[in-house]
Amino acid sequence: MEDPYRILVIDDDDDIREVAQVTLEVMGGWEVLTARSGQEGLQLARSAKPDGILLDVMMPDMDGPTTLEHLRADPATADIPVIFLTAKVQAMDRKRLQDLPVAGLIAKPFDPLALSDQIASVLLRA
Amino acid sequence: MRGVGALERVLLVGLQDTVADTLRRRLGGRLALFASTTGADALKFLAAEPFALAVVNHRLDDMLGAELLEQIRLGPIGWHLPLLYCMEKGAGGILPSQLVVRYQLHRLIPHPLDAGDLTCHVAELLGLPLSDLPAGGRPAAEQAVRDVWTRVQSRVMERLNALVAACDALAGGAVDEQLRRNAEREAHKLAGSVGTFGFITASDLARQMENLLQSALPLAPERGYRLLELSGALIRELEHERPEDEPTLPHPDASSPLVLIVDDDRELCDRLAAEAERWNARTVTVFGLADARRAVAQYRPEVVVLDLSFPDDTESGLSLLRELTDAKPPIPTVVLTARTGLIDRVEVARLGGLGFLEKPVAASQVMDVVAQVVQNQRAQRAKVLAVDDDPNILLTLRALLVPLGMEVFTLADPLRFWETIDDIQPDLLILDVEMPHISGPELCRVVRNDPRWRSLPVLFLTARTGPDTVHRVFASGGDDFVNKPIVGPELVTRLLNRLERTQLMRKMAETDSLTGLANRRQLNRIMQRFLKLAERQGQPLSFALIDLDLFKDVNDRYGHLVGDVVLRRLGELLVQTFRGEDVVARWGGEEFALGMFGMAREDGVHRLAEVLEALRDEPFLAQDGQRFHVSFSAGVAQFPMDGTDLSELTRAADQALYQAKAAGRDRVAPAGWTCQTPTAAAIILVTPDAELEAQVVKGMATRSTAVVTCRETGEAVGLLDPSVRMLFIDAEVPGPPEAVDALVEKAQAMGVSLVALAGAAAVPEVVRALKAAEADMLARPLSLRALMQRTRRTASPNPVH
Repeated sequence: MEDPYRILVIDDDDDIREVAQVTLEVMGGWEVLTARSGQEGLQLARSAKPDGILLDVMMPDMDGPTTLEHLRADPATADIPVIFLTAKVQAMDRKRLQDLPVAGLIAKPFDPLALSDQIASVLLRA
Repeated sequence: MRGVGALERVLLVGLQDTVADTLRRRLGGRLALFASTTGADALKFLAAEPFALAVVNHRLDDMLGAELLEQIRLGPIGWHLPLLYCMEKGAGGILPSQLVVRYQLHRLIPHPLDAGDLTCHVAELLGLPLSDLPAGGRPAAEQAVRDVWTRVQSRVMERLNALVAACDALAGGAVDEQLRRNAEREAHKLAGSVGTFGFITASDLARQMENLLQSALPLAPERGYRLLELSGALIRELEHERPEDEPTLPHPDASSPLVLIVDDDRELCDRLAAEAERWNARTVTVFGLADARRAVAQYRPEVVVLDLSFPDDTESGLSLLRELTDAKPPIPTVVLTARTGLIDRVEVARLGGLGFLEKPVAASQVMDVVAQVVQNQRAQRAKVLAVDDDPNILLTLRALLVPLGMEVFTLADPLRFWETIDDIQPDLLILDVEMPHISGPELCRVVRNDPRWRSLPVLFLTARTGPDTVHRVFASGGDDFVNKPIVGPELVTRLLNRLERTQLMRKMAETDSLTGLANRRQLNRIMQRFLKLAERQGQPLSFALIDLDLFKDVNDRYGHLVGDVVLRRLGELLVQTFRGEDVVARWGGEEFALGMFGMAREDGVHRLAEVLEALRDEPFLAQDGQRFHVSFSAGVAQFPMDGTDLSELTRAADQALYQAKAAGRDRVAPAGWTCQTPTAAAIILVTPDAELEAQVVKGMATRSTAVVTCRETGEAVGLLDPSVRMLFIDAEVPGPPEAVDALVEKAQAMGVSLVALAGAAAVPEVVRALKAAEADMLARPLSLRALMQRTRRTASPNPVH
């Protein structure tokens, strides 16, 4: 049997990873992979080839924008749409993040029940 | 257009019969289902009759689903038909998300297909009610989220305890930068995660802690104290068993307006959505009128942008406009038309359309109008505060008043009354007569004794109607009373009567007629509230005075009408730049004032400098067609260091403004800055590029920040002294690599932040050295804004004191 839509969630926060996984599986019917750091996320993105990536902006060691840079630099992952997951930011930081090659931004805290729809609508707009 | 109650035609292509059965069972008699196993048949169906939706399977008998999508979208059926696609991975060599984008799919249905899931998606898309939700839908997800919370709760509390311990230490005067950074991070993460579980208040508290934890160490005593207060409140919030369902204060995101865009011009829609995001507005886009009606019902948008240049369908567009303006409350609608359109502007105006923009139109122009509409709308929206210990009454009030477009705040505990009334600044107060601790009439008497609330309309709710009760109500200063159980129409009529009078009077008294901005009186009122909040929440608050440069010359040379255009435009720029929680006012003449809640002085200077840079670029047109430009000067003061009340803050901002003028105008100065004493340069720029140098020097001057520039690395080494905070190095700088190494080494040793500007002509050795030193890299051509952001993060927070 073929696999369902596969999304990779990269966030160092255990709670966020867990709630995103549960809600995307139940509401979206998606296959959810998680990684707790940029490095782990890069590896998983290369090996599992997800259809989309939800990427936390603020992480220790390797932050979201840096992880994004690596994703884009590797032909194996360059085309995977990425959505930033970011704390409510000021308009200017938002602008800065949006100028990076991402499909969109989703603000934290998010409504877990609306997350799969939010991701879908960002991808629709991308 | 379909009439109400008509069957929705849905086409299923390549799906098993059991899927159709499930759809039929779950969605009752509301669907007219058509099925085909081949793409060719599907196209025939679609060509013959209009469909509300098509569901296409990846594998069809005669072609791949993707090919059918292509034929639908590029053929005569076009882009209006909503499409769901049941996918299969790997086949066709195209990623599902690319399918979504390429063919504008409304949903991807994962493989293997779950008929229940599909039913939910169909119901949602068509706005149909589902009799019983199948397992795996929303309730299951709600339960799953609650389960996760139960699992992680103890972990969150542990993390919270660690955070509180760190706050204790910092509030006690500890100077441990690592500890502060960790605590700031932890507060940041908590704000994100607890909010996600529904603890909105807790999330807000954590966010405030995060802000405080960004202060320099050692913490000022009042900040330390505030931090402890916040952490106490946070623990109390999270010790609740369950996330709160209904916060008293609106969710922070409630401040970002929801805009519904109805337009079949996809390119414009995309640009509008992008522009809206820049304005911190949320958008929903639909491409047809039927979808628009559903979206209005589902999302209750704050503003609708309606394109009336739909081909062949002008009349139905106008009827949608009529429905929107007849809705209760009316939904303000901004209308777009084609230049060649046959629509009568007068007709649109008569139907209540606001704004009338001719295409082609820039997305920014549309959002300009939308922002104005939102601002007016919000200013008009009445705020009602209801105090009652009976939660059912509060729910009833909410259910009655929210649909009328009022903002309803409810409070069950009268002991929290004062903080709440200050926060909310209601336009009307509803009090229960009988409450524990303090009765309604007692509360009302106290309210009337406060001069700020002397004329606030107060309505009582009472289960008793004896003469005693009536007397008590009026003797305490109440305006009216309504009997319990509440009869909706009666309450609404009485309440609207009260509101209409006071609102009209207030609006007339508080708006500047030329610019539509707040006048001085309203500014005073809002600033008083900001000052209280800032003190209580330990938040920064800045106040700015802005004065147009040589405005008398503009009036003299070009006339007052042109002068008014300039005033209005500056007002618009300020409103656009500053957030909903800021207050922008006309202070009088050519002066404007600005209260910025939650913003420190230096941030205020930067934001205003950006407004100034935008204003400078704006060409104004004199009546003879001549173009001219204007600039302003501004001063920014911060509570509490520059003043603890509005008059002290005004004085400090005014002095800074005077200094900005004395330094040659066209700049923004922080309080305490003077143009006579040259400040030690906090920033050094090394570049051989004279143009870049001029650009940076001008940007810094606009922000009243000193910068020293030099052409080569050797020279820069000599300039490094302890006052230097930042070093910008152009990677195109010539010279031996050792010189760069030496400069970088010395800068690092002195704790100076390094920022590298790297362009096409960068010297590779220089780039390597800077990368090795982990310098922040900025690409050239340089965005001045990006560079200024770097200086804001690192530069000295206080040039002179």
